[in-house]
Amino acid sequence: MKAIGHGGEEIVERVITDKNEALKKIKGLKQVPVRRQIATEAISIAYGFFSPLQGFMKKADVESTCKNMTLADGTVWSIPIVFDMSDKEIAEYGIKAGSTVLLTSDGNPLATFEVEDIFTYDKQEWSQAVYGTTDMKHPGVKRTYEYKDKFLGGKITLVNPPKLNPPFDQYWLTPLQHREKFKEKGWQRIVAHQTRNVPHTGHEWLMKHAWMATHAELSMEETEEGKAVTGTLVNCIIGEKRAGDYIDQAIILTQDALRKYGYFREDVHMTSFTLWDMRYAGPKEAIHHAIIRTNLGLTHHMFGRDHAGVGTYYHPYAAHRIFKQVPQGKLNITPIFVLEWLYCPHCGEVTCMGLCGHGKEQQKFSGTLIRSILMDGVKPTRLIFRPEIFDIVMDCAKKYGFGSPFVTPQYIEKGTPAFRIDPL
Amino acid sequence: MAETYPINIWINEERFEKLKNAGLGGMPKEVLAGMKVLPVPNTDAQKDMVLKLFPVAKFDAATTKSIELLPKEVKDEIFDLVVKRKSLNIMDEFLKLKEKKEV
Repeated sequence: MKAIGHGGEEIVERVITDKNEALKKIKGLKQVPVRRQIATEAISIAYGFFSPLQGFMKKADVESTCKNMTLADGTVWSIPIVFDMSDKEIAEYGIKAGSTVLLTSDGNPLATFEVEDIFTYDKQEWSQAVYGTTDMKHPGVKRTYEYKDKFLGGKITLVNPPKLNPPFDQYWLTPLQHREKFKEKGWQRIVAHQTRNVPHTGHEWLMKHAWMATHAELSMEETEEGKAVTGTLVNCIIGEKRAGDYIDQAIILTQDALRKYGYFREDVHMTSFTLWDMRYAGPKEAIHHAIIRTNLGLTHHMFGRDHAGVGTYYHPYAAHRIFKQVPQGKLNITPIFVLEWLYCPHCGEVTCMGLCGHGKEQQKFSGTLIRSILMDGVKPTRLIFRPEIFDIVMDCAKKYGFGSPFVTPQYIEKGTPAFRIDPL
Repeated sequence: MAETYPINIWINEERFEKLKNAGLGGMPKEVLAGMKVLPVPNTDAQKDMVLKLFPVAKFDAATTKSIELLPKEVKDEIFDLVVKRKSLNIMDEFLKLKEKKEV
């Protein structure tokens, strides 16, 4: 059976796994070293995470993404995926439309790049369209303005698949491998929980809420242990970090621990990750996440409060509202909108804002407060944070975070990345 | 009342015992499912100085309205000074000590 992804297109892996074939393909090609940002996106393109894209975007697609939230052919698309270069570099490497070059990462071959288009784009217009602001304090706008002045579009073919470093290697699945896993599990409905967080019980309940909404009208027999047809995929975002974020290892290991320690049953929960540098584009990024998860083979996607937001740039439920603008049938994934879960001392439990009537007594979860508690090394009450999760966070701080569960300049400089590119 | 820009120090049993011994057992506030926090107040000028001396720290204007991301050892020192002086008004003294070290 064909694996159909976003836009109704078949997922195509543009990956050469045969070493001799790869060596033949790259022979004589001009080598162009790329930074981590570009290497990450080349890998994602090649495996089909961004299907139907088969390469970095050409001008018509970038323009249409900014102006219409679609690719040039009308497929819904919300964030430009680009390869940037300066005029000087283009001249130095002698790149022209029609050239094929070899992209290298960590000094080793990564992918071939068939350059079809070289163009400029107004970064101010782009920022306003995608991020709704041109404020340089917005991390997505900052990234856009930091791009070099020219963009190169064209197809990518991975010639040297990445090697995943522990502990990420246990959780790396390509879109086609995700689909295989779901088939093995017998899941018919799968809901995505997008995260870059260590889970507190508020997150846990969001996931439970989304699972119940996804299972919906299906029978209770189909929830019996070992026969579950509905699953939750925690798909962590692993990519560029900002100071104060949780370290990647803590995110993925704690999310997986929710199942390991029985907070989710073995047959209804799994953990994986997507390589993606957060743009914090709020609603536009919500659409992008829906596209990625469609390509992974998911049927539903949970969106909570302030999805992919930053600061006060977006309305807390802007990511919910944007789905109303997408014409029916243009996204093959069902959004599950969830309200905040909070702690109510009157109820004595974590409850949903849409249900609890003790408004004045409610105590909201705040990521910042939880971070503050963990920073002090104080074990939170199990009602808001599972003790096993706390222990793993502290262990990760020692093992991977140079003493901190949060990203520090030392972690950015010396931390173990999720993947490496070895010699071919 | 002027804003106080607190540094939130989270209180576990060990810290609570020390606070009680210093006669400050009534100072922590309960905020989330029984979690206790001791908000150590800062004036606007003190807040700016804290952020200057500890560039990793941030003032969270959006949600908690408090100074966050201070390293644990710094918060430990602030807590120890609170206990030693039996008062929450210790930030001037703390910052002077830190400034001297900087020089």
